[in-house]
Amino acid sequence: MLKYIVKRLLLLIPVLFGVSLFVFLVLHLFTADPAAMMLGQHATKEQVEALRESLGFNKPLYVQFGIFLSQILQGDFGTSLMTRSAVTDELLTRFPATIELAFAAMLIATVVGVTVGVISAVKQYSLFDYLSMVGALLGVSMPIFWLGLMLIIFFSVTLGWLPVSGRIAVGMEPSTITHFYLIDSLLTGNWEAFKSAVSHLILPAVALASYSMAIIARMTRSTMLEVIRQDYIRTARSKGLVESVVVFKHALRNALIPVITVIGLQMGSLLGGAVLTETVFSWPGIGSFVVNAILAGDFPVVQGGVIMVATVFVVVNLIVDVLYAFLDPRIKYS
Amino acid sequence: MLRKRSILLLMLVSLLALALVGCGGDKEKAAQTAKPKVFVFGQGADPRGLDPAFVDDGESANPIVNIYDGLVRYKTGSTEIEPALATEWSPSADGKEWTFKLRQGVKFHDGTPFNADAVVFSVSRQLPPQRTDAMPYASFTFGPVEKVEKVDDYTVKFVLSEPYAPFLANLAMALAAPIVSPAAVEKYGDKFIENPVGTGPFKFVQWKKGEQIVLEANKEYWDGAPKLDKLVYKFIKENSVRASELRTGSIQAMNGLDPNDVKMLEDAGLSVIKNPGMNINYLGFFCNKKPFNDPKLRLAVSHAINRENLINFLYQGLAELPNSVLPSFMPGHDKSLQAPEYNPEKAKQLLAEAGYANGLKVTLLTYSNVRPYNPVGGDKLAAAIQADLRKVGIEAEIKTYPWKEYKEIYTPEIVEAGDFMLYGWIGDNGDPDNFLSLLETKEIKSTLNAAKYSNKKVDELLVKARTAQKQEERNAAYSELQKIVQDEAPWVFLGHSKDMAAVSKNVEGFDLHPVGVIYFHNVDIK
Repeated sequence: MLKYIVKRLLLLIPVLFGVSLFVFLVLHLFTADPAAMMLGQHATKEQVEALRESLGFNKPLYVQFGIFLSQILQGDFGTSLMTRSAVTDELLTRFPATIELAFAAMLIATVVGVTVGVISAVKQYSLFDYLSMVGALLGVSMPIFWLGLMLIIFFSVTLGWLPVSGRIAVGMEPSTITHFYLIDSLLTGNWEAFKSAVSHLILPAVALASYSMAIIARMTRSTMLEVIRQDYIRTARSKGLVESVVVFKHALRNALIPVITVIGLQMGSLLGGAVLTETVFSWPGIGSFVVNAILAGDFPVVQGGVIMVATVFVVVNLIVDVLYAFLDPRIKYS
Repeated sequence: MLRKRSILLLMLVSLLALALVGCGGDKEKAAQTAKPKVFVFGQGADPRGLDPAFVDDGESANPIVNIYDGLVRYKTGSTEIEPALATEWSPSADGKEWTFKLRQGVKFHDGTPFNADAVVFSVSRQLPPQRTDAMPYASFTFGPVEKVEKVDDYTVKFVLSEPYAPFLANLAMALAAPIVSPAAVEKYGDKFIENPVGTGPFKFVQWKKGEQIVLEANKEYWDGAPKLDKLVYKFIKENSVRASELRTGSIQAMNGLDPNDVKMLEDAGLSVIKNPGMNINYLGFFCNKKPFNDPKLRLAVSHAINRENLINFLYQGLAELPNSVLPSFMPGHDKSLQAPEYNPEKAKQLLAEAGYANGLKVTLLTYSNVRPYNPVGGDKLAAAIQADLRKVGIEAEIKTYPWKEYKEIYTPEIVEAGDFMLYGWIGDNGDPDNFLSLLETKEIKSTLNAAKYSNKKVDELLVKARTAQKQEERNAAYSELQKIVQDEAPWVFLGHSKDMAAVSKNVEGFDLHPVGVIYFHNVDIK
């Protein structure tokens, strides 16, 4: 097992190298001249040239990439052109917000998705089944951006139940320990901050979860249907086992392997979807930051952000693969 | 079994979390309006930074003007200049040396004293050889400054390379001009951009990137303590989401309104401020070549364009009708001036007098995007003008370019491609020279004088106004200049696009300054 994990971790190197190369090339070949952008409307040609020189843009592309790589290896993603501070710091201060949102969405998507999927499978062709599958279809096809705005208009503006945007009410921030507001507010026993943080989290998490929730529900339903028709389920039932034991212990557990795979893959789409969700809900995470960076031509931030998200994605996939072995004793890595 | 339990636990936790939230919203609102007075202002993005030397964006200018002071400042609602950190000033007889007497007893937020050394430090770091490429406004704001010297602890002297009266207005700008604490710059180094220390009405407390900037009242402010206790800039990217925040009362004011949201906000009981901005949207004739080298023909076109209709329908009233080049809040604005009125008959008559009784074919150049002075975009504006011109027998062919290209190809070659163009200007410092020098002969080469208009008398008047000692002399020169421009019509003045902000009804003293920022010193919540 350990050998397998080490092997997978080593595989990270070529994957991240490829991602870095791709991002670097795309940004350097296809974006406007950041030097001209940085200097603003009163810049002369000479100033732009001097800045290009000092930023190293005049060197050949492979030399620039070499410098870039050696910097990343030291954990240095360069300096943001917009804010003139270290990209690594900028990303790390925003990362907890993105993770908090992605995990909340994952939680909602998994709990609701699996529950709906199981009920739909057990009560196949019932009204619940039809309704939830239509709902799932909607969830898959609804653009996050639009859904987010609709949620705001309905739950915040019209009903006034939930706050419109942001991560917590102004002035409520808990003292910083982990940078995760939910955890920090619990650790410090700041109940008001916790409530505010949760209320701010719900709408963006639901908007972000919608797509994954739908996929997970459909996946759970179809694998459950497959499993329920297996011989051993009939055996279990004929033994006289209670239906809930049959469903949860015998069926769900065996149906869970493909579902876990999907959940793992959805983590990636959650991180991607966070870009839009964070923009709509002014969620101060990496997604909204990278969007601003793209618009401002701030390529060091875009590079750093993409590589960071890619790393998380690869690591989550590894974790999912390792989880298989725990869920299904038949799977062994050697 | 264990797994089953953990799934159940997950479900329970999430249910609990959902249940907790039910009544959260109202309590938050209550917490915000209770004492102390906290004002939350919604804007679209984080500032690039809070060191005035290193930024050029409006998101930075807004907090900067409330954290720092300059030597002088703009009066409320206009771009006239009044004392701030300098109490009085006088130019030398040749206009090349400006001496400023500084306000005494003022302290920076870090407790260090404000004095001549601080001024020399703040300015010198932006002059050669210390000036770097990362200072976007230094060369504009301090362009004419050769050096700045301390005369005594509370007197400084600026030495200019040439007499240049608009220099005073530069010192009121939000960018480059504000005075920073030398001790704090020393202490924070590169991080000063995130830890600003000035003398302004609000002290910097905290900047949570992507979320908010928190400022607190500077109770010892030299011009009286501000009425608010805290000022928070909250960053909400989407215009419509920001408007929703305002409607639910979790922010007190916002800028960057979508024109489509104006009515919705007004219906919801909020005040929408619409002030003419420091800009002009104009049509420029290429005055250096046929056919528009003939002022008569330029006047004909001017009379043929229904400017009121453009403002009322194309811009839905969100622009002010100009009577000349300068917006109404600017020194040098002359109420007595009148731009050519809409009169198709007169246009036809002038057209005939110029020798085009049988019609005229011309090419109108425009840009494809929206601009701050033209929120509907260059192509729509061009189409509207084309329709007006057709009514008097002028057939205008439209050529559209993307903005980047449009700015770059504004060269002799593009002038060949057309006869007149749509363009505009966003002011920098609120001084009339900043607008009127767009008509100076020497700016043809720099392409700022897009119309390639050249008139010796206009050039002389511009120089006279720059070297004049008193504002009245300058204003007289500008009036004379604008009368010439009125008769010769190198431009058609299409509009001063309005800046907008929305604010709760219980707020007092809130206004959007013509330069586009909001000064919070006198703002109060009732």
